[in-house]
Amino acid sequence: MKWLSTRRALALMIAPAFAVYSLYFAYPIGYSLYQSFTNAQAFGSTKLVGGKNYVQMVRDTLFWGSLRNTGIILLVSLVILLPGAFFLAHLLSGRVKGAGALRAMIFAPNVIAPILIGLIWVFILDPHIGLVNSLLHTLGVQHPPVWIGGTTLSPWSIGVVYTWQTVGFIMTIFYAGIRMLPHDVMEAASLDGATGWQRLRYVTVPMLQETFGITTVLVVTGVFKIFELVFQLTGGGPVHLSETLVSYTYWMTFSNQKYGYGMALAVVISLLGVVVTVAQMAFMRRRRAS
Amino acid sequence: MSTLSTTAPRLARPDAPPSPRGPRRRRLGIAAIVAYLVTFVLILPMAWVVLLSFQSNDNILRDPLNFSHLSWANYSTAMSTLNLMTMYKNTLILAVVSVSVGVVISFTAAYALTRMVFRRPGLQKSLRFYFLAGLAIPVYILLFPVYKLNIELGLYGTYAALILPYIATQLPFNVLLFTGFLADFPGEIEEAAIIDGAGLFTLSWRVVFPLMRPVIATLLILNIIYVWNEFPFAVTLINNPAMTTISLGVSQFQGFWTVDYGAMMASATLVLLPQLALYGIFQRYVVAGMTFGAVKG
Repeated sequence: MKWLSTRRALALMIAPAFAVYSLYFAYPIGYSLYQSFTNAQAFGSTKLVGGKNYVQMVRDTLFWGSLRNTGIILLVSLVILLPGAFFLAHLLSGRVKGAGALRAMIFAPNVIAPILIGLIWVFILDPHIGLVNSLLHTLGVQHPPVWIGGTTLSPWSIGVVYTWQTVGFIMTIFYAGIRMLPHDVMEAASLDGATGWQRLRYVTVPMLQETFGITTVLVVTGVFKIFELVFQLTGGGPVHLSETLVSYTYWMTFSNQKYGYGMALAVVISLLGVVVTVAQMAFMRRRRAS
Repeated sequence: MSTLSTTAPRLARPDAPPSPRGPRRRRLGIAAIVAYLVTFVLILPMAWVVLLSFQSNDNILRDPLNFSHLSWANYSTAMSTLNLMTMYKNTLILAVVSVSVGVVISFTAAYALTRMVFRRPGLQKSLRFYFLAGLAIPVYILLFPVYKLNIELGLYGTYAALILPYIATQLPFNVLLFTGFLADFPGEIEEAAIIDGAGLFTLSWRVVFPLMRPVIATLLILNIIYVWNEFPFAVTLINNPAMTTISLGVSQFQGFWTVDYGAMMASATLVLLPQLALYGIFQRYVVAGMTFGAVKG
């Protein structure tokens, strides 16, 4: 290999990727970092203001509101999505006819454009034309809840939609974990007369600890990146009550045109992403070590 | 939950050998019923949109659960007023160019970073880290700077304005997958080719690249899905209706159709079904590729 690795050859192989990636990925991150310390806006001159944007964030009730909504979505995901996905993986690793086809169907929402998922759920949750409220009306409910667009329920609904979008993906990871469980342990447990329920509780769940760790990390990173669902279902409204971190950052930057502050928000989101990803890598390493 | 004891398989695997107590009779257990029910509920939202796209708009507003008058009317409305063909064409152009270029340049970079010999190994290590660090960064921090950059470079309003960030954001994952695969790749094949007098070009393109078919297939599919579904860059960087992509188009359906829900649902179906068909064909690759990072410990 050595004599083929001339400087020129190496440069030719790496240069195209290096150029595109540096210009459209690395440089923009630096630019954002720099802008987050300025008062850049649509009009007026830009000057450095130090950490003012970051201090402003602490007092920004809309920022805390978007953080709270992101937290609600995360809560819904951890309470419904994780156990639901595990339960499905367990069910579909048993002897169910056509389990493979069922798994494929449950996974499908992961490959549909998130913006289309948003639109599909408008038809389900919309207070006037949505399927849910049509059914409730039919059942004689006079004033069914305002699932989206109201002042309180939106983040909870978005959590449910996100759960629907992601459950197949998380289920697949649990399924892979279940398939990798050592055969003989299960065998021994059933020969010792453990019921299915006991096997699940004392063998499967404890042995899947790592998988639970990974899926938790994936759900957390996923929730912090939710954008399209909010954009399509509520637009962040009314009066920013249903914004999440990303949708609020988007609004601040592109609609409100406060670039400096918007970039500061983007930097905070990225830092959250980096922290969780580093945690994820630590998990992986521990897993490989074991 | 306690019904799980009736799931009955001795072992939680379909391919399990018969248990020592002899083969069990298959029966439709509670587990199966629950599994079918849950799956039915989960595909209902998609089925609902498809079903309602055949309803008249009045029916959707008044009596959506009455399926006695189904027709294709919404589809002719959607096809004749919506520029679906333009959206598909734009998305296809973006996908073909950014994915093919992206996969090729990720491969050459990954090959150099794993197989070739640097005079300073430290440089090779830091370059590898440089490319893979992108995996940790959410793309949202790039939106505004990339928008500015495109204006500076005079690319705003062209396909290149989207193609370049699409290549850049996919690079870290592509490089990761190629480097991972190359690491498990036996060196003898290359040695033999070098002895036969192969140059770098022949070696990387004629010898190694064809042997990477499974990775390339996975990457092509995942990258195409990414571009196909991509929305944040599209909504930020496209200012010209003639360049609308599928995702961007979908986000405008509500504004476009306002109260014609039938046509809106027909439009949504015309976007949904091709995506599902594509997934159906390449399902194995898609699932394996998407879960690769998480499952491959």
